[in-house]
Amino acid sequence: MKKKIGFATVMLLVALSILSTRFYEVSLPVWHLLGGGNGPDPATLHLRGEFVESNLGAAQDREGFLTVRMIAQQYVFVPQCIIVPAGVPIRFRITSADAVHMLSFLGTDYGLKAVPGTVTEARFTFSKTGEFKIPCHEFCGAGHYAMRGQLDVVPQDQFSSLRPGERRTCGPG
Amino acid sequence: MGQVNRKAPMRTPVRWLVTLAAMFALLAIPLLRLRGDSSAQQPSEEPPVRIPSNVAWTRETLALVSSGDPFRGLLLARRCNHCHGEEGFSAVPVFPNLAGADRLSFWKQMEDFRSGKRISPVMQVQAAGLSTRDSADLAAYYSMLPTARDPQDSRSFPQTMQDPSLATIAIRLILFGDGQRGIPPCQSCHGPVSYVNGAPLLAIQNESYLQDQLEHFANGYRSNDINVRMRSIARQLTAQEKTAVSEYYGAGLGPGVYSR
Ligand code: HEC
Ligand code: HEC
Ligand SMILES: [Cu+2]
Repeated sequence: MKKKIGFATVMLLVALSILSTRFYEVSLPVWHLLGGGNGPDPATLHLRGEFVESNLGAAQDREGFLTVRMIAQQYVFVPQCIIVPAGVPIRFRITSADAVHMLSFLGTDYGLKAVPGTVTEARFTFSKTGEFKIPCHEFCGAGHYAMRGQLDVVPQDQFSSLRPGERRTCGPG
Repeated sequence: MGQVNRKAPMRTPVRWLVTLAAMFALLAIPLLRLRGDSSAQQPSEEPPVRIPSNVAWTRETLALVSSGDPFRGLLLARRCNHCHGEEGFSAVPVFPNLAGADRLSFWKQMEDFRSGKRISPVMQVQAAGLSTRDSADLAAYYSMLPTARDPQDSRSFPQTMQDPSLATIAIRLILFGDGQRGIPPCQSCHGPVSYVNGAPLLAIQNESYLQDQLEHFANGYRSNDINVRMRSIARQLTAQEKTAVSEYYGAGLGPGVYSR
């Protein structure tokens, strides 16, 4: 009896600690299929939370670590052009405002899935500098074939550090 | 023997309590980590939040807008007539046509005028006196008005364009967009191929109004579009492209008597 209780407790704790690592945030659309992800409501991204338009683009925390926040929506990425330095790990956080979109950074090995109601997080380090196109690879509706963003990877010394509260994108925004 | 028997039932609850306490303590660790993580997610200092529009296409909003009463709208529309025209066709290009307008788009613009998210000294005053229900009723009324001024008018688009040579540029953008620059085809959001919530019908509009709005999206004077959708697109269009699409959509109401 005691052993059974002990075993049950251990299993419960294991289950809870797995859940608490937020593994489900990382690109698993399973939670979305099960009815609701862990992330923000796709209809109100512009009203509250980390995906308001003033918070999109590259941000830098006190330790110097870079985070890029993006929205994928029918049929444009916001921001349409993102700029990052080469050779340092960059955290991406992306969500969708409608359908499922699939970004691939052409010319690199990386890709990201954007799922409504879920935040997909990933860490990428871009070794090559240059301009990379970001087409959408998951059919998302009538304008899908022209859905395309851009990634500019610049040498590290050309990427001046960001003040807290400053957000960076390339082009007009 | 008797003593031992009495003690045993006492000890079990104590063990239970200890186990429970240990469980809670272990539970608290992941919870604390979660809290720590979510505060780390937010950058230490965030820029001031900019909200483009208070409208969000939630189920409740969609239900409210689609339940508008066109007859009540007709009565309310009297105060709009002298600018937007008796039948939703305005005589002056700076006043947009409203006949056949998309309901969601119409309602959203009224809300944005009211909250000051879209700037127009004239319309902000007009919208201030109306409730969300009034706007839904007006939207229902205007969306039902026929989009052809004259039923026997059989003009078609390219023929009535001031500069027909721009038609090719316009048709390309409307049908295909430009994948290289990330400009999706206009018709994938504005119809008739497909619609996104809140995108107005463009074929009901006059040329100079369309041109002005594209200009305003591009330079940021108008920035009430949700998630920077229309601003991203307008910024990429060249002056010639803006003129071309405006003239094309603005060229008579042509065969574009389509509605949602
Ligand atoms: C004094 C003239 C005037 C009156 C009266 C008026 N409007 Fe307007 N309306 C305008 C102007 C000017 C604009 C264009 C604003 C701009 O340039 O951004 C406009 C724009 C609009 C738009 C946005 C259309 C679009 O597609 O962008 C809507 C919707 C609208 N009006 C509805 C109404 C309603 C409903 C009423 C009556 C309650 C009304 N208006 C009364 C002058 C007027
Ligand atoms: C990704 C979807 C999308 C595409 C593609 C798109 N639009 Fe829009 N457009 C919108 C939305 C949504 C709005 C309404 C913005 C708001 O909420 O005020 C809008 C508004 C407009 C307006 C303002 C009209 C008015 O009555 O106020 C014009 C003009 C316009 N778009 C032109 C174009 C042209 C030209 C193209 C093609 C080059 C285009 N749009 C492509 C989504 C789109
Ligand atoms: Cu897509």
